[in-house]
Amino acid sequence: MTSKKQLKKELIIQSALELFASKGFYSTTIPDIASSVKISVGSMYNYFTSKDVLAKEIIKYISLYLGNKLQNINEEKISTEEKTKKIVEVYFKTASLKPEMIDYFLRIYLSNREVFKNGCEGMICVNEFVTEIMIYFEEGVRCGDLRDQDFFSAFGLFMGYLGGMVFLKGEEILPKALDTYIDDISYNIYKALSK
Amino acid sequence: MIKLIEKIEGEAKLNFSFKDEKIDFVTIEFMSTRNIENILKGKHALDALVINPRVCGICGHAHLIATVQALEDCYEDLKISNKAKIIRELTLNFELIQNHFKWFYLTLLPLFGHKQQVLKATYPSQLMAKAIALFGGQYPHTSYTIVGGVVCEPTEMDIIKLNHYIDETIRFFENNLVKTDSNSFLLSDKIDKFLEYEGDLITILQQIKEDDMLALGKSYDRFISFGENSYFKKAKSIKTKVNDSVSIEYVKESDIPSSFAKSVTFKENYYEVGPLARAMINKAALVKDSHRKYGDSIFSRILARVCETSQLLAHSKKLLERLDLSEPSYINPNVDISKINGSGTSAVEAARGSLIHKVELQNGIIQNYEIITPTQWNLSGGTKKKQGVSQKAMIGLSDTKTAELVFKTFDVCSVCTTH
Amino acid sequence: MIKLLWLSGITCNANTHSFLNYPFIEQFLNDFEFIYHPVLDSSYTLQEIVSNEIECDVLLIEGSISPEFQRADVSIEDIIRKYAPKVQKIVTVGTCATFGGIFSQSDYKDVTGLHFDKEQKNQKFENLFDKTISISGCPIHPEILVNTLYAIKGDIALRLDNFLRPKEFYAYTVHNGCVRNEYFEYKVDAHQFGELEGCMFYDHGCQAPFTHASCNKILWNEVNSKTRVGLPCFGCTEPTFPKANLFTTKKNMGVPENLPLGVGKRVYLTLAGITKAFKIPRLEKKLLDD
Repeated sequence: MTSKKQLKKELIIQSALELFASKGFYSTTIPDIASSVKISVGSMYNYFTSKDVLAKEIIKYISLYLGNKLQNINEEKISTEEKTKKIVEVYFKTASLKPEMIDYFLRIYLSNREVFKNGCEGMICVNEFVTEIMIYFEEGVRCGDLRDQDFFSAFGLFMGYLGGMVFLKGEEILPKALDTYIDDISYNIYKALSK
Repeated sequence: MIKLIEKIEGEAKLNFSFKDEKIDFVTIEFMSTRNIENILKGKHALDALVINPRVCGICGHAHLIATVQALEDCYEDLKISNKAKIIRELTLNFELIQNHFKWFYLTLLPLFGHKQQVLKATYPSQLMAKAIALFGGQYPHTSYTIVGGVVCEPTEMDIIKLNHYIDETIRFFENNLVKTDSNSFLLSDKIDKFLEYEGDLITILQQIKEDDMLALGKSYDRFISFGENSYFKKAKSIKTKVNDSVSIEYVKESDIPSSFAKSVTFKENYYEVGPLARAMINKAALVKDSHRKYGDSIFSRILARVCETSQLLAHSKKLLERLDLSEPSYINPNVDISKINGSGTSAVEAARGSLIHKVELQNGIIQNYEIITPTQWNLSGGTKKKQGVSQKAMIGLSDTKTAELVFKTFDVCSVCTTH
Repeated sequence: MIKLLWLSGITCNANTHSFLNYPFIEQFLNDFEFIYHPVLDSSYTLQEIVSNEIECDVLLIEGSISPEFQRADVSIEDIIRKYAPKVQKIVTVGTCATFGGIFSQSDYKDVTGLHFDKEQKNQKFENLFDKTISISGCPIHPEILVNTLYAIKGDIALRLDNFLRPKEFYAYTVHNGCVRNEYFEYKVDAHQFGELEGCMFYDHGCQAPFTHASCNKILWNEVNSKTRVGLPCFGCTEPTFPKANLFTTKKNMGVPENLPLGVGKRVYLTLAGITKAFKIPRLEKKLLDD
C-alpha cells in the first residue's frame, strides 16, 4: 500500500472512531464517515468493503498502536515496578489524548462481540496488545518480581482496573484528571501482582 | 587372595582365604556407590520415575515399576485399571526375559569355556526391548508408567505387533535353548528325561554333569520372594517347605564394613532370591525335580533361570488375552501428589530377584528413599560363622575360577548393588 | 580393524545396553574390535587395560568423571590420561560422560563430563577437546553412536555443535517428527495421560521443542519414541539433564518459560494467540472416533 493510501486509511479510521464515540456505533453509517473525510461513498469501499470490516480494522489498529507503545516499554531495561507505571501512563495518556480509541475498545469491541465473530475470533484482533501484556507478566514472574498465577486472573485485574477508571472518566464521574491517579493506581496494581 | 571379578555390570572384588587348599572364607567387596537414595531426597515425587530407572541399565525397568508402586502405596485409595496393571506386568516380564537371554549367552557361556554368542543374546533381547518400547516409547530408561496408570494408549495394531515380538522370541527359544516346542518343554517334569533334548541349555547342563560339577554352589536351600503379580507369589521356601507368611517389615539392611554394598536379611537370616527362589515357591515341576536330585546347586540355578524365560513368554501370551483395551490406561488420581503425606513400600520381582523400594513423602516431596536390590540379598556379606548365600555357595571349592562360576550363576548386578 | 576401548566412569551401564540394541551388531563387531568392553568379550581384561598400555584407536567413555572415582583401583582420570593422547578420537558416550548428567548429583567429589560441567567448559582435559565427539543422551541411541563410529572409521568429517555433538543428529529437536505435532502447532492444549491425542508441552513438562536430538526421526528400538506414546521428553540429551519437576511445565502467568528452540517470545505468543482463537474440530475429538 502506498503511504498516501495508508494515510487516508488512518484518517478514515480516526474519523470513524470520533463518529462512533459521539453518535454511537449503530447510528453511524458509511456515508457519514465518507462525508466526514470528504470522499465519495464509492471510494470509501476501496478502503473498507463494509462497516464490519472497518470495525475489525479499527480494533486491530488500536491493538497495534498500544502494542507498539508497550513493546517499547517491555524492551527497556527497567524494573517490573517501573514498567507497571509506564504501562498505566501510556494507557491513561491514550485515554486522554485519544479518548475515542479507548472508548471504542471498551464500549464497542468488548460489548458487540457479534460484530467481531468472524475474523476476530478469540483475541486475534487485539493480539499485539495482549502479547505485550503477556510478555510483561512473563518477564515479571521470571525475574521474581511478580507472583505466578493464571494469566486471566492477572490480566483481569490489570485491564479491569484501567478500563474502569477510563469508564468513570468518560461518564464524567471522576473528579480529577486521569493522570493524577497514575502513581496510586500503578502502586496498587504492582502491589496486587507482586510476590 | 584377591580376585577382581569383571563384567558383572561393573566389578567386584572377591577376597578368598584358603585352608587345606579349599576356600575357607570369602569376602565380597563393591568398590563404589552412587548414592541414588540421596539424589532423590528433596525431589518432587514424580521425578523418581525418571531418576530411578537410571539405577541400572539392564534392569532399570524393574526400578521404574517398583517406584510407581511405592508412590501409589502412599495413597489411601488409588484406582488403577486392570489394563494398566497388565501392561506393567507385561513390560516387566519382557525385561526379565531380556536379562535372562543376555546372562545365558554373554555371561554363562564363557564360564563353561564357550565363546560368547552375541547375536543369540541380542536378537531375542532386542525383540523384548521392542516389546517394551511399544508401550514405553523406548528401552532402556522409559518412565512410561506413572501414578494412576500408564501414559500409553495401545491399539489393536500394537497388540498384533506385540504378539509377533513374543512369538518370534518363543521361536528363538525353541530353536536354540531347548529344541522342542514350548508346550512340551513347559510340561517337562523329569530332569533326566529333559536332558535328552538338544539345545544350548542342554549342552551346558550336560557339561555340568560330565564335568562332575553337579554338587557345586549349594547354599542354605532357603529362598524368599516378595514381589506379587499374576505369576509370582510372595513366600519363602526352606528345604522345599513353602510358607507365604512373609512381611517386608522383617527385612533389614546393614552395613558391610569392607564394602560399599549393604547386607540384607529376613528375620536375621540370609535368603537366596531370583529365578530358583521363584521356581521353588511356584513349585515349578522341572526345577523341583532338579532340586530333589541336585539341591540348590548351580545346575538347578541355571536351569531355573532359563526355564523362567520360557514360562514368562507363555504367561505373557496369557496375560495379553486378558487385556481389555477399552479400559482406561490412566485414571487421574483424586488427590494431587503434591498434597500427599505418607510412606509407601513396594516389592517387585526383577530378573535377579526381589527388589524393594520404600519412600516417604511430605507434600509430595521425597523425604527419604530406600532401595534394596536382589543382588544385595544374594551377595550379602556375612561373617565366617554366619555366611551370606553366595559366600556359603563358594566355600569348600578348590579354585577361584570355579568360585567365579558359582558367583556368576547368581547373575550379579554390580550397578544395582552400588545404587 | 579399528580398536575400541570402552571405559566406564560413574554409570548405570544403560549406554552399554542401549548399544547392544543396535540391530546389526554382528556386522559392527566384524568391523571393530573391542580391546575392552564392560559386557562383551574383549581382547583384554580391565585389569590388563589399567595396568598396561594397550594399542587403541578410539576411546569411548561412558559415565561421569570424578577425580575420586576408580576402576580396578586406578583413578578414572589416570586411565583417561594414559589412553587419550594416543587415540585418534575420543567419544563421550551418553549425557553423564558429556555433561556430568544425573550422577553429578552423587556423593563423589567434582563430578563432571569429560569437557563440560553442565554448560560450563572444563579446563582439565582441554588438550583433548579437538579430538572429542560427544554423543549425549540418557541413554545414547545405538544407531547414533554406531554411525558416528563408522564416520570416524571412514574418516568422514562431522560437523559438530558447541557441545561437540554431530549436527546431523543433534541439529533436530525431539519435536521434529512427533506424531502429536498438530496438537502443538494448533495450540490444542488439553492433554491427558493415557490418550493418543494431545501434546505434553503445555502442562506435562515435555521438553521436545527445545531439546536437540533425533528421537522422533531415528526411532527408539526401531519402533517408537517417548513422546509418541504420550510420555514427555525429559531433555536427556542436554547439559541441564535432569531438571526438576519433570512432569510439569514451568509457566510464568500461563506463558511457558521454555519456548521452541530459536523462537522469540513475541513471535511465539503472537502465533499462539492467533491459532488459539480457532477451534479445529478434527483436533478436538478423539483420533479414532467417527
